[in-house]
Amino acid sequence: MKTGTAILDVDDLHTYFRTEHGVIPSVNGVSFEVREGETLAIVGESGSGKSVTSLSIMGLIDSPGKVEKGNILFEGKNLTTLGKKDYRKLRGNEIAMIFQEPLSSLNPLFTIGNQLSESIKLHQKVDKKTARVKSIEMLRHVGIPRAEKVFSSFPHVLSGGMRQRVMIAMALSCNPKLLIADEPTTALDVTIQAQILELMKKLAKENSTAILLITHDLGVVAEMADKVVVMYAGQVVEHTDVYTLFSNPKHPYTKGLLNSTPKFHETEEVLASITGTVPTPSKMPKGCKFNPRCPFATEVCTTQEPVLREVADGHKVRCWLYEEKEDAI
Amino acid sequence: MIKFLLKRVLEFIPVLLIISFIVFSLVFVAGNPVALMLPEDASQEDIERLTVALGLDQPFIVQYGKYMLDLVQGDFGKSFRYNTDALPLVLERLPATLELAAASMIIAIIIAIPLGVWSATRKNSSLDLLATGGAVIGKAMPNFWLGIMLILLFSVTLGWFPVSGRGTIAHLILPAITLGTGVAAEMTRLIRSSMVEILSQDYVRTAKSKGLRNFFVVYKHAFRNSLIPVVTITALQTSTLVGGALITETVFSWPGLGQLLIQAVNTRDMAIVQASVFTIAILVIFMNLLADVVYRILDPRIKYS
Ligand SMILES: Nc1ncnc2c1ncn2[C@@H]1O[C@H](COP(=O)(O)OP(=O)(O)OP(=O)(O)O)[C@@H](O)[C@H]1O
Ligand SMILES: [Mg+2]
Repeated sequence: MKTGTAILDVDDLHTYFRTEHGVIPSVNGVSFEVREGETLAIVGESGSGKSVTSLSIMGLIDSPGKVEKGNILFEGKNLTTLGKKDYRKLRGNEIAMIFQEPLSSLNPLFTIGNQLSESIKLHQKVDKKTARVKSIEMLRHVGIPRAEKVFSSFPHVLSGGMRQRVMIAMALSCNPKLLIADEPTTALDVTIQAQILELMKKLAKENSTAILLITHDLGVVAEMADKVVVMYAGQVVEHTDVYTLFSNPKHPYTKGLLNSTPKFHETEEVLASITGTVPTPSKMPKGCKFNPRCPFATEVCTTQEPVLREVADGHKVRCWLYEEKEDAI
Repeated sequence: MIKFLLKRVLEFIPVLLIISFIVFSLVFVAGNPVALMLPEDASQEDIERLTVALGLDQPFIVQYGKYMLDLVQGDFGKSFRYNTDALPLVLERLPATLELAAASMIIAIIIAIPLGVWSATRKNSSLDLLATGGAVIGKAMPNFWLGIMLILLFSVTLGWFPVSGRGTIAHLILPAITLGTGVAAEMTRLIRSSMVEILSQDYVRTAKSKGLRNFFVVYKHAFRNSLIPVVTITALQTSTLVGGALITETVFSWPGLGQLLIQAVNTRDMAIVQASVFTIAILVIFMNLLADVVYRILDPRIKYS
């Protein structure tokens, strides 16, 4: 396991959306840290709050959403109280982000070069010519052939994989310390997926960039991550390193996720797959939020909410099954 | 681009043919103008003689054929009232109308862009509601009413601007505001709804994630995209602008095409009516062509084909 100082420390983050239909607690007490050069994966089903967590870190939660509570420390600076101007200096510079949809994430009306050199000019304070040289260099670096031509092309002439490479080039152009990748390969073909992941891994290693990787693909987790956070209904239900996650998962939800991935069907307890769906914010169950879908749910699970507890060194679980064991000891 | 333009211009020919047919038919249906051309005490014989002299006793098809023959030579016939060729009379009035239209368009743009963008970025705030409500009122106000109110307040009561006529910038201001208000209101509404949609696009989020200032995110990345539908719809509304110009010119005695046309209709000066309608039709077509060109310049995804 890698060590190093934490560059990102998310502590008890609460991000709520106040809509006409009431308050939606999309992120409800999430904590984790990302260390220098490390890759932390956040996994969870659709709607579990992964994107909202990453946008909260970027400071891009728009009204009616708001970070209600908790701290986000980046290199010791508290982002939740950071001024707008200082936040802008971080964004795209020290913390960069890649999004899920390469097809719609680039502005159709501006050339690749325009969009790529934009952040270089902004953060590195260089002139147009230097920015152009750097941009083309960056495009080559992410494996784009005929970089000069691509520089003056519009996004619509590029394939999805190429556009995601452009997004990576854009994100890494200012050597960020943290790269947030929100399902960077979900929209791509399987073969392209592997290439893009490989590229991210290689470039992150070169610059010892830490990655916060959001995905619901456990194959991607196994490939990329050092540590894993499993999210369910806006909360962290399990937090451990990648080896432990696959060899000794604790939370019934994690086990269910692993079992629904074909590669791991020989794990001990048999949970064919998780039945039911993620609860909607208006129909949040009492007690443990996973209890209606959990085969091990007991009385206590339906009344009281478990806390995230460290069950082994660096392995945290939010589940009554493990609370009881501790109590028994 | 040149090929595309040529193609579009060729497409106009059938459109113009149809317009000429409609205009001619309407005039034909409107009845014999001879009675209005002669003094009141003219005898029935005089009327008939003039009717025959003007070829107005011929069947529809013959009259239309003759009319078309003249038309391709740019001859719309003589104005009964001015006793000169109609087309030069119309073209002489054109600059005044274009001046008014351009001024009101500038006013509309100056108001609509900041207001539309600004209410989109503050969607559902009280300021947004105020702007949206204002746009509804602006659109609902009839041109003649607004014109008269402006004259009463600024010309009659305050004496800041002349009541009517054309000449100085001061003459232009009130009519341009009158004509521009409705356009501004419609444009504000369009820009707002277009911007609201664009602001939620992924590439806007990308722009924010780069650390760009909000101003650049809004005006560089979002606004240009939002203009694409705005340009198209605004061009389609040129005809509304023309309709407004007819009334505004009459209210302010603005010596433009609209004023000439309305007078011609009242006196059944059909040569002028035909020449004016034709000129207006060409203007509208030209505006649509212009919009098409702008649209293509704005959006690199569109190929010329
Ligand atoms: N702008 C918003 N307004 C209201 N609710 C929102 C908004 N954005 C997100 N949410 C809610 O927050 C919850 C979490 O959404 P989020 O996008 O973080 O899920 P996710 O884990 O990223 O899912 P996916 O895998 O589909 O990307 C969802 O229930 C969603 O409805
Ligand atoms: Mg998401």
